[in-house]
Amino acid sequence: MSVQTRSPSRAAQWLNFPHRGVGMWAFAMNRLSALGLAVYLFLHLFLLRQLAEGPSAFDRFISLVRSPLFTLSEWVVVVGGLYHGLNGVRVILTSLGVAVPYQRQMFWILFGIAALGSLAFAIRMFTA
Amino acid sequence: MDLTQSAPKSGEGTGLWLLKIATGALVIILLGIHLTVNHLTAPQGLLDYHEVAVYLSHPGIALMEGSFLVIVVTHALLGLRSIILDLKPSRRVLGAVNWGFSIVGAGCVVYGIWLLQVIVSRGAGG
Amino acid sequence: MTAEVWTVTFRVFRRKGAEAPHYDFFRLEVSPDEYVLDAIERIWAFHDRSLVYRYACHHATCGACGMRVNSVEKLTCITTIRSVARDGGEVTVEPLRNFPVISDLTVDMGDLYRSMEAVHYPAVSPVAAAPLPTIPAKDGISPGGPLREEPDAHRLNDCIECGLCVSACPIATTTAGYLGPAVLAAIQFQGISGKPALAGLADCEDGVWRCHSAYECTAVCPSLVDPGWRIMDLRKQAIGRRFRRLFGRGETA
Repeated sequence: MSVQTRSPSRAAQWLNFPHRGVGMWAFAMNRLSALGLAVYLFLHLFLLRQLAEGPSAFDRFISLVRSPLFTLSEWVVVVGGLYHGLNGVRVILTSLGVAVPYQRQMFWILFGIAALGSLAFAIRMFTA
Repeated sequence: MDLTQSAPKSGEGTGLWLLKIATGALVIILLGIHLTVNHLTAPQGLLDYHEVAVYLSHPGIALMEGSFLVIVVTHALLGLRSIILDLKPSRRVLGAVNWGFSIVGAGCVVYGIWLLQVIVSRGAGG
Repeated sequence: MTAEVWTVTFRVFRRKGAEAPHYDFFRLEVSPDEYVLDAIERIWAFHDRSLVYRYACHHATCGACGMRVNSVEKLTCITTIRSVARDGGEVTVEPLRNFPVISDLTVDMGDLYRSMEAVHYPAVSPVAAAPLPTIPAKDGISPGGPLREEPDAHRLNDCIECGLCVSACPIATTTAGYLGPAVLAAIQFQGISGKPALAGLADCEDGVWRCHSAYECTAVCPSLVDPGWRIMDLRKQAIGRRFRRLFGRGETA
């Protein structure tokens, strides 16, 4: 007779961070960036097949992806990668029992570094 | 969570988890190099064919990019598998995921090494 | 004494049997320093005698009155209305997640209790082993050090099995088999060295490796158990055990 209380769907509750603490945000963003980066990785590998087709095919492809829209999406990938990697440092450290009580502070420091890094990449990528 | 009903399983134990963490740490280092060389220092953020060929003509660099491929694919597939584990797959689904991911992983590595070999053997002049 | 009076609307989750869940609204005049549980009791006493909720001690010891208040897990007996609402505002009260709802605000925590028993979580432990700060006896009232020196002195362990951590955990939401923060913390409390059964439970896909470090368990724990830290410590123990076994030193090491 009993039923679980589930508002929207269960997987959507991985993202129920609005009422939650820093740790939940870190987890939800880690998972989102993970999915995005995995898609990108396989897309990246797939598109690099142009290299096998020789210089002219590849250089035509490269001039296509030098357009602003591609640059913007590449920047999104860089942001995701920076966040995922830096939060990964926090996950590794806390998982080995290091600085667990300071996981919140650690999140903000690493998040700050990721933000600064994203900004640096933005300046480099959009002003070149 | 009911321990009277669920027996211990070995879908993700210390070994696989450590592998995910170790490859993750290596990805941070190698991706740093990969991003800096391929995208940050390159003109307009991307190397053209000739620059790629010159870059990969150093055996050490080719080896590094090859290992980077193996490591990043391993990390990505272990991570995806971990997300699937969170969705409580049946033993059968998990078995299919294990096989499927092994094939995808092996395929990516073979493809990547083939691609590396094509470019390296063609040489920077090509 | 002039008591401050707030008007607060309580939006209460209702569900009986297999019927579809809905929310009932109760507008109450309350003191902001009353607790959420006081308001729930008043709703039951004066507005709707069919409201089912659970409580016992009223002082954060029994762990029975855990609910979600504005989507965050709280022991309602120690959560002041001031801390979750404002005058003229609304407060949502729902049952804990990740447990089956029996009726309205009451969930079935049988699985949690059975699991805590299955891992032999002790109800008491020696005071000397407790992670207590040494209390200076300056005021002449606090017990200070002497209690620790009593070899037979025991205290109730911190975990009150209220289930808030299980409800807050994003992994327990999708993974019914996950041991969950409370049970993993209970295993860590005992240590897995020389305990192959506990080690096997902790070191598997439904154990410490399923945790994704959201630390929501620690954020909502009302009893300073800090399950997040304990899960991480248990990982360290599991890795250490694995390496010891790798070098040929087994459970006795």
